[in-house]
Amino acid sequence: MIVVEKMGKPGVAIVSGRFESDAVASSRAFGMPDLQWVVVPHIYRNLDPETCRTQTEDAIDDIIASLTSSIDARQQAEQTDTRRYEGEDRHDAIMRMNQEFINEDLGDGLLLHPPTAESVAEMLTGTNLPPDHEVCDMPPGFGVATIEKIAINAVMAGAKPEHLPVVIAGVKALSKLGGQGGKSLLMSTSPQAPLLIVNGPVTKSLGFNPGSALGPGRDNQVNTIVGRAFALCFRNIGHWYFNKMDMDTIGTSRKFIQCIAENEDASPWDGFHVDQGFKASESTVSVFVTDGELDVQDQGNHTAEGLLKNLAYGSTFGTMSLQSPRGGQERLILMPPDVARPVGTQGFSKQAAKEFIHKHSRGSVGKLMQYMPLEGEARVHDHWKWLENLTEEQLLQITVPIMNDPDDCYILVVGADRAKTAVFPSGPAPVTEGIDQYMA
Amino acid sequence: MHLLEVSNPVAIQRGVLNAISASNRPATLDDKTVGLIWSGTHGGDIALKRAGEMLQERFENVKVNFYTGGNYTTPPAIVPQAGEECDVVIGATAD
Repeated sequence: MIVVEKMGKPGVAIVSGRFESDAVASSRAFGMPDLQWVVVPHIYRNLDPETCRTQTEDAIDDIIASLTSSIDARQQAEQTDTRRYEGEDRHDAIMRMNQEFINEDLGDGLLLHPPTAESVAEMLTGTNLPPDHEVCDMPPGFGVATIEKIAINAVMAGAKPEHLPVVIAGVKALSKLGGQGGKSLLMSTSPQAPLLIVNGPVTKSLGFNPGSALGPGRDNQVNTIVGRAFALCFRNIGHWYFNKMDMDTIGTSRKFIQCIAENEDASPWDGFHVDQGFKASESTVSVFVTDGELDVQDQGNHTAEGLLKNLAYGSTFGTMSLQSPRGGQERLILMPPDVARPVGTQGFSKQAAKEFIHKHSRGSVGKLMQYMPLEGEARVHDHWKWLENLTEEQLLQITVPIMNDPDDCYILVVGADRAKTAVFPSGPAPVTEGIDQYMA
Repeated sequence: MHLLEVSNPVAIQRGVLNAISASNRPATLDDKTVGLIWSGTHGGDIALKRAGEMLQERFENVKVNFYTGGNYTTPPAIVPQAGEECDVVIGATAD
């Protein structure tokens, strides 16, 4: 509608009740706070046709008014640089700050460190860039990501100055993801969430854990804190607030974002950052967007082909898009050393392993397409219309590759000893950003 | 008593810095062309078509154009097309 309004034509959007706060946030993010919308009670997608008609009839007066009445400018909250809290002592003041930040949804639900002028100044010593330097506009809400705002959120997460360049690089990488930083995916009702993975010397110098990297606790302190700093930037700079610009139906614990490291010492191959065009001696962070997670167990394979076939079969879960001729998915594979080592030593390059997995990851089209009926849905691409004439039995017998291309499979060696691989549906393609350029 | 002063972590949005106003509205929809933009999701087409019917019932000489690119999300090309060809536009995401 904003495109239409920019052309000088009145527009109005019909939105369901749960999405009104999304409409408010999106209209601000995309540059038209006075955009008009009309609210109906229910999401149309799963309503019967008669209810679709009747709830529209109930809204028609509002639709007409939005198109024919003059528009009053909506009030916008003023931005302030600082906030003040009085308490009986420092602890009490910090708790009051935390309560207000939680009430305004500026945190992740856990205790926040107070971003005082002193702590922010100390954080800024971690980078060579000035506080007012604009790194990017951070999606999905396109907040202006200055070094200072990133530092403030890093302080709140409990990060140290030496962590700041990783956070800055992560913020920058996110803004480069396909489709305006993966804007639509990040705002989706599905639980897409970023996962950050670092490579290069910084993994050891900062103490990232490349072993059992995704859990809580002492060993993952750096993984957790840096991931949390990025996540707070995502909220308060990217405006990725739940029920405003993050419309998850159920949500996911993956939104407590973590920043893990590739286990380069245990890998038979080059690090992922080398695949992405960086030198092995450079430090990088890669941002993946994941949409689920599956533990693929292996109980006894010891040949490369046996291990990879099991992994390929384990990667066939999920659904297939019918919205384009290439309906395949991407897979992020966190491969533990006990799988990577035999695969590599038995002659598979990383590319050969990806090609093998691609070849053997095939799923029944009948199962993969169940999520969306073929009729009454304009989003089904003409390429798939031939499926309409097949019986369910025929559909179940046809298999298609889960991934369109071997390069839609991303292999990183992560984990402790034991052949249990983590497979994530992922996409759009990850972005890797150098860290060294942001260091003090 | 202890006074704690902290920095605001919230960044201003580029869209707020570069905000534009809504366009002027006509007094009536008589003799207007109404564009209906469907994003392709279930039910949105039914809702939009019913809205178009009701506008034709309530106003004189209303023409209705229905647009869909047949794919999600609304393909950019049909949005400016609707803006070019219509006087007002109604959209529905169905989500």
